Amino acid sequence: MTIDCRGKQIREINRGIRAGLASGEVEVLNPDARHNLAVALLQPGAVRIRGSVGYYCGGLMDGATVHIEGSAGWGLAESMLSGMVTVRRNAGNGAAAAIRGGTVVIHGNAASRLGVSMKGGLIVVGGNCDYMAGFMGQKGVMIICGDAGEAFADSMYSTVCYVGGRIADLGNDAVIEPMSDDDVALVESSLRTHLGEAVRATKPAAHAFRKVVAGKKLWNFSHRDWKTWQEAL
Amino acid sequence: MSVRQPSGIFAPGVIEEIQRKAATGLYQIRGYGTLRERRWATFDDLTFLPCTLTRIPLEGYREKCNTKVRLGTRFARKPVALDIPVMITGMSWGALSYHAKVALAKGAATVGSSNTTGDGGMLMAEREHSRSLIYEVLPSRYGINVHHMRMADAIELTIGQGAKLGTGGLLLGSKVSDRIAEQRDLPIGVDQRSPARHPDFLGPDDMIIKVEELREATDGEVPIFIKVGASRVFDDVKLAAKAGADVVVVDGMEGGTGASPAILQEHTGVPTLAAVCEARAALEDIGLYGEVQLIIAGGIRDGVDAAKAIALGADAVYIGTAALIALNCNKPIYEEDYAAIGAAPHACHHCHTGRCPVGITTQDEDLMRRLEIDEGAERVANLLRAMTLEIQMLARACGKSDVRHLEPEDMAALTLEASAICNLPLVGARKVFGR
Ligand SMILES: Cc1cc2nc3c(=O)[nH]c(=O)nc-3n(C[C@H](O)[C@H](O)[C@H](O)COP(=O)(O)O)c2cc1C
Ligand code: SF4
Repeated sequence: MTIDCRGKQIREINRGIRAGLASGEVEVLNPDARHNLAVALLQPGAVRIRGSVGYYCGGLMDGATVHIEGSAGWGLAESMLSGMVTVRRNAGNGAAAAIRGGTVVIHGNAASRLGVSMKGGLIVVGGNCDYMAGFMGQKGVMIICGDAGEAFADSMYSTVCYVGGRIADLGNDAVIEPMSDDDVALVESSLRTHLGEAVRATKPAAHAFRKVVAGKKLWNFSHRDWKTWQEAL
Repeated sequence: MSVRQPSGIFAPGVIEEIQRKAATGLYQIRGYGTLRERRWATFDDLTFLPCTLTRIPLEGYREKCNTKVRLGTRFARKPVALDIPVMITGMSWGALSYHAKVALAKGAATVGSSNTTGDGGMLMAEREHSRSLIYEVLPSRYGINVHHMRMADAIELTIGQGAKLGTGGLLLGSKVSDRIAEQRDLPIGVDQRSPARHPDFLGPDDMIIKVEELREATDGEVPIFIKVGASRVFDDVKLAAKAGADVVVVDGMEGGTGASPAILQEHTGVPTLAAVCEARAALEDIGLYGEVQLIIAGGIRDGVDAAKAIALGADAVYIGTAALIALNCNKPIYEEDYAAIGAAPHACHHCHTGRCPVGITTQDEDLMRRLEIDEGAERVANLLRAMTLEIQMLARACGKSDVRHLEPEDMAALTLEASAICNLPLVGARKVFGR
């Protein structure tokens, strides 16, 4: 099924996508960076968007797969429960914000606050991410093949991050932990699965990634660490 | 002057607080809302002017006085229809016990009112027992679940609360039990801090897109409320309306909380009385008064406060603390347990400790059992019934056949401040001051 966005209201486009999911794959033409495309998809099925999208594409989703062939605006896949969203080029601020499950793959770069407040799921970025990625991450895994911006992994709970390139600066309470064999295996298999063998080969070796987790100093109020608190609040 | 005269500046409480800071190096966190003696204008500074020779009153009990209200008539296909204009505000499962959440839902449902989820997502039992359930979408997005959202009767996009303006939620480790940790995707026992900002929009312009997304996710059926803490109310209400809110909720400085830095409760925000006046003026200014409904919260204690808020322009009020008090908060029972947390009945604001002596703001199974769900629900229902009767009594005395026909003209100000804030004549002077 094919839906051309031109001349259609967003409600009509999304209704079409939902109806199309039932019968398999939906192709969306001329998305023209419109906001709220393919939100709240609640059943399996695939959507292929031939172009770039605005805010919240794939947001509030449970179970579908959305492929974006261009770039994405803010809040990509926000609050997703399960499913998959892939972006061929770059993603705007707050990509994968608050996701509780599912997979978000960004082949290009991610802007600031990637995976903010994430509560589960997997994020794979082929390129770089800008400042404050992983901010207040609660659960889930984030893999960045390129460089990470400032205040990386700030004030996290239990999200686990892996970075293949340089980290401009670690956020409050973010600490580097040695890569275990399991970590190496996880990074390797995630990259192979989500980037494809050929592209994976152009990225750093899995053992060269650095693992970043919370130092747990902000988990409980304590006067001993007031300097950290001063910066965190 | 007596040699025992304490300083008016370094009063005993101030000394205690300085020494507490000196010992711990931390600011104070607590529950309940502002403890300050209110020297600002409040609903108590207004008086009703019932019918005498110039107006005809309605007979109590016999002549109808409608209390039904519909919220979300602007865009939603299914506005929230309530039998009474007093609703239960959002208080999270986490801040509140399971028993308290279910008791509030049942109590509200019994009298045809609504209740609201909170900063921790929806509890299934809460949905089952609610008549109208409002689903909050907060910056933290704890427990966010599109299916729950679609089961709700309205969505409330929360920007802030009166008791913690400009900051995020707090839940201290003693309340992050295994069940709460699981619901919120957090490690057990952490002192949970939530973000102050939403993760996926920044200001009023992109909030428009967020509202549209929420409508998409709910097929445009249910109303979208936007809740703001009372700060720059006049501007915020306009921006919320512009963003496409069906209903704007304004939570005044007196608003309650489960845990928040004390200084934010005491020294930030605009009091509820002033907030209603600014909110109404804002909606009038953009020609949306009546079309966008207004809910007021923050320190509403009884039908009198509610009636005054309605007369000043609110369509309904939210109550939080008053409903908890109906559930036995601050009641003189289990007194030794109040003492154990450094509190006393009538002077407890220790919700943050997680050791609520009456089982409301705790996750401890033994304490929780002290709150019997059905008895609690009946007391909440009774409070809502009594408040509604009070509102009706005042409305009938003012000659109104619908509580929402109450208007500013039905009141006068008892103080100069209230006169200036509410644009109401001062009693005796017959003129508005400050204009
Ligand atoms: C125990 C408790 C928990 C609360 N939790 C939330 C919450 O999760 N989300 C929210 O928006 N407001 C929360 N609030 C604030 C209320 O929704 C409401 O704005 C405030 O309580 C109104 O003031 P009142 O308690 O004086 O009626 C909470 C308040 C209390 C007392
Ligand atoms: S009695 Fe319970 S709910 Fe009431 S103030 Fe004390 S701890 Fe909070």
